[in-house]
Amino acid sequence: MNKTNERKLTIARAMAEAVAQELRVDPRVFVMGEDIGALGGVYGNTRGLLEEFGAERIRDTPISETAFIGAAVGAAQDGMRPVVELMFVDFFGVCFDAIYNMMAKNTYFSGGSFKVPMVLMTSTGGGYSDGGQHSQCVYGTFAHLPGMKVVAPSNAYDAKGLMTAAMRDDSPVVYMYHKGLQGMGWLGTEPGATVHVPEESYALEIGKAKVVRDGTDVTVVSLGMGVHHAMKAAKELQEQGVSAEVIDLVSLVPLDRDTIRASVAKTGRLIVVDEDYMSYGVSGEIIASVTEHDISVLKAPPKRVAFPDVPIPFARVMEQFCLPNPDKIVAAWAGMQAA
Amino acid sequence: MATDIVIPSDLWEEDDETVITAWLVNDGSTVEEGALIAEIMTAKVQYEIQAPASGTVHIKEDADAVVAKGTVIGVVE
Repeated sequence: MNKTNERKLTIARAMAEAVAQELRVDPRVFVMGEDIGALGGVYGNTRGLLEEFGAERIRDTPISETAFIGAAVGAAQDGMRPVVELMFVDFFGVCFDAIYNMMAKNTYFSGGSFKVPMVLMTSTGGGYSDGGQHSQCVYGTFAHLPGMKVVAPSNAYDAKGLMTAAMRDDSPVVYMYHKGLQGMGWLGTEPGATVHVPEESYALEIGKAKVVRDGTDVTVVSLGMGVHHAMKAAKELQEQGVSAEVIDLVSLVPLDRDTIRASVAKTGRLIVVDEDYMSYGVSGEIIASVTEHDISVLKAPPKRVAFPDVPIPFARVMEQFCLPNPDKIVAAWAGMQAA
Repeated sequence: MATDIVIPSDLWEEDDETVITAWLVNDGSTVEEGALIAEIMTAKVQYEIQAPASGTVHIKEDADAVVAKGTVIGVVE
């Protein structure tokens, strides 16, 4: 909880602060991407970097994700620690060879002779009517392919610690930040993401989930924006006399299965909330991680609140109809009781 | 002495209203003059609000409030 005199940051500012602090102490770190220089990033997460570190280390690139992500892979293998931004994760289609055939695999292909210590930061999520090619999460797509760590912060404290950890990691890290948590008003800001952030540099261990709310009746697992939906649903359920435990995954790869299993062993019920598409994704993986380990702990079949398997609609009412929200989580609990 | 925290009139040209996207301090926080205390946004551009004086912040307009140039969104005393 925030104490009165603790300063708060948005996720955007927390990311920029983490990168700035690492740029100050590690000459191998540099930043590349579209509009990350003079503009400070379209989501505000590189604000102030160009002014402090100059155009040599804060490099605005042309609109060729293949070129600059490929260049980052080469630089990383050559001893640098690039932080590159894929402005919308939806754009992965034009540069996925650089990401999953080069960035993710070159350590393995070289028999360990090369490391690829780079951060690919990219925005996810919708809810503000930006259409089906600017609103996706595709968490499952990245988490499915081996060779990359994948993290997704839900608040500014985690955002800073994860970014610092990602830059210091010898593996490639995909850093997926949700637009609705950035503190940029036009993207539909979730105020719960703006929290106290210490000024000094710190790193979070990648691969640890967090129990962000203790409960005994049902475990709600989510990440990013979904954590805020889950917390609101938990409050609503509490008024109905139901005690919900909420787990923030924080990291998709590595996935902290132990924390999820321990929680479901206690509660006996599982709801997974994911803004990514329902099928073949994070929600199925979480459920399988529980059931293949010990299905006897379950008192009811698990439920999923995820984006239906359709391209994301532009029309506001249709998009909102499809997106996860607290009401759908509460309804999932009710469905569990009816079963 | 109380100093008003005011939405400046010279950050953007037109008379568009603005939304307080975040308070970066809590109500009752102690701040130094010049500290970043809030963010506002107009037409997809974000601006910073700094503490006009040192002292204790009292928030008058919460995050998400839509306000005009000249609005007093809080005081420092």
